[in-house]
Amino acid sequence: MKTLFNYCQYELRRILHDEGTLIFMLLVPLGYPILYTFIYTDEVVRQVPAVAVNLSDSSMGREFLRQVDASPDVDIILETGSMDEAKKMLRAQEAYGIIYLPGDFNKRLQRGEQAHVSLFCDMSGLLYYKALAVTCTDVSLKMNGNIRLQMMPGLTVRQEEVTSLPVKYESIAAFNPQTGFASFLIPAVLVLIIQQTLLLGTGLLAGTDRDRGLFPYRESTVRMWGKGLACLLLYLPTSAYMLIVVPHLFHLPQLAHASTLALFMVPYLLACLFLALTMEVFIPNREASMLVFVCTSVPLLFLSGISWPGSDIPMGWKLFSYLYPSTFGINGFVRINTMGASLADVQTEFIALWIQAITYYTTAWGVRKYGNYLLHRSA
Amino acid sequence: MRLIVHTARRECQRMIHDPIYLVCILCPAIACYLLFTSLMSDGLPVKLPAGMVDRDGSSMSRNITRALDAYQYTDIVGHYPTAHKAFETMRQGRIYGFYYLPEGMEADALDGRQPTVSFYLNYAYLIAGSLLYKDMRTMAELTDASVAEAQLSARGTEEWQVKPVLQPIAIDTHPLDNPWLNYSVYLNNTLLPGVLLLTVMLVTVYSIGTEMKYRTAGQWLQQNGGRIIPALAGKLLPQTLLFSLMAMLYVSVLYGYLHFPLNGGLLPMMSASILAVSATQAFGVFLFCLFPWMRMAMSAASLWGVLSFSISGFSFPAMAMNPALQALNHLFPLRHYFLIYAGSALNGAPFSDVLPSFLALTIFLLLPLLFLKRLKRKLLTYVYME
Repeated sequence: MKTLFNYCQYELRRILHDEGTLIFMLLVPLGYPILYTFIYTDEVVRQVPAVAVNLSDSSMGREFLRQVDASPDVDIILETGSMDEAKKMLRAQEAYGIIYLPGDFNKRLQRGEQAHVSLFCDMSGLLYYKALAVTCTDVSLKMNGNIRLQMMPGLTVRQEEVTSLPVKYESIAAFNPQTGFASFLIPAVLVLIIQQTLLLGTGLLAGTDRDRGLFPYRESTVRMWGKGLACLLLYLPTSAYMLIVVPHLFHLPQLAHASTLALFMVPYLLACLFLALTMEVFIPNREASMLVFVCTSVPLLFLSGISWPGSDIPMGWKLFSYLYPSTFGINGFVRINTMGASLADVQTEFIALWIQAITYYTTAWGVRKYGNYLLHRSA
Repeated sequence: MRLIVHTARRECQRMIHDPIYLVCILCPAIACYLLFTSLMSDGLPVKLPAGMVDRDGSSMSRNITRALDAYQYTDIVGHYPTAHKAFETMRQGRIYGFYYLPEGMEADALDGRQPTVSFYLNYAYLIAGSLLYKDMRTMAELTDASVAEAQLSARGTEEWQVKPVLQPIAIDTHPLDNPWLNYSVYLNNTLLPGVLLLTVMLVTVYSIGTEMKYRTAGQWLQQNGGRIIPALAGKLLPQTLLFSLMAMLYVSVLYGYLHFPLNGGLLPMMSASILAVSATQAFGVFLFCLFPWMRMAMSAASLWGVLSFSISGFSFPAMAMNPALQALNHLFPLRHYFLIYAGSALNGAPFSDVLPSFLALTIFLLLPLLFLKRLKRKLLTYVYME
């Protein structure tokens, strides 16, 4: 017991005196969430610049453009009669869309025919397209209701209302009500940071040992536990900060019950920790851990199914993603934090994480046993 | 020149000797090429699981269910008796949204009592939620229109007149150069170079740092008569070559194999990707000079590289970011590469329009020149510290 605490103390001191581990195990967990939230702080794209090409000199056409311009998402920066000029602005990325009203726009409406508005979008960012398409559709639907009424004169007010809208509909954003980018992405990033920094940090420690001619796979089990305990002591407060304080600080959705979250994070931290303690024995030198682990962050984020829907990930990649605690951790945390899920709702993830924790404990313990066995045999 | 070739040969031997080089140059990039292109091979996620709460049970509500299920993005995987039950299923992560048809909907609609249908979407999964929204809203519009159509016919409106009356103004959207709204086009054009440039930065710092670490820096410089320029050029060139090959690999995959839009011609993209590789190498050297120790330079390279994915603005647009960040993103080679791609490959802009981004990447190349003296002194005098 005493040796366990001695080892733990030793490792803690090592982590706190080493700039590399300090950066990854303290600075990144504390700083990155703030940086990321700052990047996505506006949550949605507002005032996407667009050019209007208005060939229809009519009040109806002007009304359409006025309503589009008045919407929060689109800003008409120029109205012109020349399509070439508009295209030039799109190419120079001064505008991200062209709204084109043809010359016969008003004439067709007057004749009771369908008039067309063409929308050309720059596709370098899907959010521009979304803002432009949704705004134009909304404005057209609103105007359509009114135009419909003018075509059928002689109705009472109530009849008018019913004809313009026989069935009403409402769309409810069940979770992440402002459909924000930060609210959607940050929770996933927070959970991923825990796993990645643990891998990097322990990898650095192990690499340092290797540089000194020590072999982590020849450590005793007690020493491994000491190291694990040190990491846990460090990560309990930082995890609490990342998963509770950060969402609160930046007004992200936060529907988690404290006890559910705490219970769920136990297997996640353990699974990450033992995965890290397994992987570290393969790190040949100090700097290699960065070469090996940094590149996995972006793919793992995609494989978690948070941005690219999990239902559309090919089976092979899905199985691969099950090797990483982050896959289950991200999904579980997002549902607990953003959607207020109970532990029963995230049962699958909870059990999977426990299986991973036990499996990776066995492998971390196993490689050390095997390393010691080889050492004794050769001695 | 002879010196450069000589050093390059030495570097090749180092690369063969230490397998971590080749592994790190080849593996992450190729694995990510495979992962991201196969992950998004559909272009868009299709048939997303959704639920239906049909409280009406009329022929109209059954028609709606059938029609919705046939839509591109929607797959009705379950029927639930109450909204509460559907919510619970959503929380378990099994559906991304559900459609709610109230009791007496059909009767109310035909009698003009304006029933309300609702749809609930889970934007915690933003892409899935947005795509389902598209289908569900179209469905609601059509339901509305089909009832109105019945009412109009009852009033004796001729069939050819119905469409303009229902929808006097129609919007035709033309997503330029990505007409299928292909997510693969939109993400992979920046993700693949992003992963490559991340490894470029790390490997550059690593390869210079290990010269110090294993105390071979003296020999490396001596071989070049103590001149830092041929030493650096000879060392980095073999890596430039390998990384450029990797860059050509993704260029061929994206534009040759997958036929992604390439309106400005192949040449700008090829030169942009090679220039971006060299610019990132230069930036790596710069980081190395900036920090006293190798591991700090490595850490900085890691953090910088990972950050470039977010700050380059290909998923969340730069224009919506804080002005400080919009200024900061000029310091990321990936940002300039992204601008060249969006301008040239996607929008077919002439070379003059993307020239500023090419120039910016060239400025990165000049960055290490400012620090050559410092670098040399550092290589000769500093001892590796953990």
